[in-house]
Amino acid sequence: MQETMRWRALALAGVLGLIAAACGPDTDDGPVADDHAGVTEDPCPDAVNPDNGCIYLGVLSDLSEGPFAGLAVPLTNAQEDFFRRVNEEGGIGGYDVDVSTYTRDTRYDPQPHSAAYREIEPSILALAQTLGTPTTQAVLRDMDDDDVIGVPMSWWSGWDFRDETRGLILPSGYSYCMESMISLDWHVEEHGEPSSVVAVGYPGDYGGDAAAGARLWAQANDVEFLGFVETAPNPVVGSQDAAIGQVVASGADAVVIAVGPAETAEIVGGSAADDFTGVFLGSLPTWNPALMDTPAAQALQDLYFHVIPWENLVEGDSDAHHAMREALGDGLSETNDGYSAGWIMSYPIKAALEAAAADGELTREGVRAAVDGLTVDFEGALPERTFGVEANELVLREAVIAAPDPDSEWNESTVATGVSGPTAQAFDYTEPCVGG
Amino acid sequence: MEELIASVVRGLGIGSTYALIAVGFVIVYRATDVVNFAHPALMILGAYYTSWFTFTVGLPFVLAVPAAMVSVAVLAALCERIAMRPMVGEPPFAAAMVTVGVFFVLFVLAFRLIGTTVITMGDPWGLERVTVLGVRLFQVDLAKTVIALVAIGAVAAFLKRSRIGLAMRATALDQEVAMAQGVKVGRVFGLSWAIAGATAGLAGMLIGTAAGGVEPVTALVALKALPVIILGGLDSVEGTVPAGIAIGIAESLTRTYQPAYAPWLGANVDVVVPYLIMILVLMVRPYGIFGTRQVQRI
Repeated sequence: MQETMRWRALALAGVLGLIAAACGPDTDDGPVADDHAGVTEDPCPDAVNPDNGCIYLGVLSDLSEGPFAGLAVPLTNAQEDFFRRVNEEGGIGGYDVDVSTYTRDTRYDPQPHSAAYREIEPSILALAQTLGTPTTQAVLRDMDDDDVIGVPMSWWSGWDFRDETRGLILPSGYSYCMESMISLDWHVEEHGEPSSVVAVGYPGDYGGDAAAGARLWAQANDVEFLGFVETAPNPVVGSQDAAIGQVVASGADAVVIAVGPAETAEIVGGSAADDFTGVFLGSLPTWNPALMDTPAAQALQDLYFHVIPWENLVEGDSDAHHAMREALGDGLSETNDGYSAGWIMSYPIKAALEAAAADGELTREGVRAAVDGLTVDFEGALPERTFGVEANELVLREAVIAAPDPDSEWNESTVATGVSGPTAQAFDYTEPCVGG
Repeated sequence: MEELIASVVRGLGIGSTYALIAVGFVIVYRATDVVNFAHPALMILGAYYTSWFTFTVGLPFVLAVPAAMVSVAVLAALCERIAMRPMVGEPPFAAAMVTVGVFFVLFVLAFRLIGTTVITMGDPWGLERVTVLGVRLFQVDLAKTVIALVAIGAVAAFLKRSRIGLAMRATALDQEVAMAQGVKVGRVFGLSWAIAGATAGLAGMLIGTAAGGVEPVTALVALKALPVIILGGLDSVEGTVPAGIAIGIAESLTRTYQPAYAPWLGANVDVVVPYLIMILVLMVRPYGIFGTRQVQRI
């Protein structure tokens, strides 16, 4: 009995010790809060340049059981690779950049996202990643108070508007709303004008934004919009039968789809099995190369096109793509589109740090001030972008269209680049297409 | 009419799978008085092992499935031995909390193993159809129904007719009396977890036959078995079958007809239907339709 009690006391002491270690100030791994939070003269842990100081950037991502972990893990890996390359090229203003020490898994849940932000905020200069729209909105007011800028890792149309971003959020690429318009313009050019359009997706900033774009496009072109088929990830709804039934019943010529990869294959495959012949225009997160191993592979080849802001990792010929392939090496076959998203969306935060360093103001206030008028070079992966301008100027109105291709290394081939169209070009972008 | 039959058959397929998942919960609960929240993670690992044995090892699908079931059974028995056996004698709530911890460990393991991709089972059904009495049905729905019901029947027969099954039932009734009769209760606990693991592995394969494959988060589908076990009775293996089928068909019919006939209810109403049925049943029979009525002496 006494032995048991002793073991329990030891176990309790161990647990308390672990909790204390987890909650206590992180004095070994990084800086403590000071006037220049997130910047130290000491080198980064495992520094590439031991003579450099260190800039700490936070990462709030979905790294275990959240709905976007499949994209977020390679995305986070890409950011580490991106800044390793930056460090290997000498760093920024005499500092290496660390995006590992303050990485936290918030599982796409606003509450842990907010808690993790509060935990790491004293020690970071900015957020290299805050994954998701509702999660980012949950911390936006705090970010404003703290002068912390961040990269959103979501493509909600609201991120193109200063009223929504408070000048703190640095998105790259187009919004889901604009993506729908571009893809439907392309559909007209390649397959003729559809007589009807339906949207299927998750409600909110992702599927809802894409559906709003489809509706706006249909209105502008006097095409019948058959509605938004709302669904949810398979862990919630079990299967996509309801969505398949509604898509098939709609008889639409074109379907704008904004769900996860497994759900995409199920909806496209199930619809094709029910003799549906409309074209599916899939948003960026709808694709995974492994879908070509599923029973829906043939249906995907027949009916599905993937709409993306930049060319895929294998086929892209920009300097950014060459750098990504070099960083990945043999890991190319084991990653997905999350990697290119993480890499390409890191350019704005790098540019902001460089601008602040050039001004001799490598502080939160200095980095925030650098955002207005900041021009970002994406090494050819995207057109140059200037922040701090109104939405109509900021928004990207072109895309890349790809199609499933079992003969390609990435299981998809680029069909067209620099795709845009009259509706996307003429759209007057005065407010977010949907609330976040 | 054709649409109605197709919808009912889809419901049978998914409902039988829910019932199979529920059997795993029930077996562990009967033996240990603990609701095993690690079950969803065991299920997704069953999907992973089926895929691994099929595509990496190169086994034919019919051999990959039992190999995956054995793998998950061994893993489940290990979990019981390491994490649950020390909890014997502790309150069931504390033990249930330990299963939550086991769930997260196994879930992270599933993420590590599956990675960022979607996995497929290599099953022979895919999106193939078969025409039965003039109605085109998906083969996978029929396969799910047959495989799940046969597996549940085998488990029920094992529990009823074998000596080990008798020992498990005795343990479920009263652990101390069972020990006095020479039943090795610890071994019964381990065996309960192993059988639950095997059924979870099989259910994982059935869930994994979806046209889009599965991702690690698909594990959470297993939580849909909770209304089934409440409806069928937390301690009734037999009760899982009608409960699972009832919930599966109700869900499927809602998916098919609600968007057309009651669109004002909004999207994804089918997700709520199992819980509505559960609440209605609990109001009338708090111990479920086939569960044992609890009598407490005051």
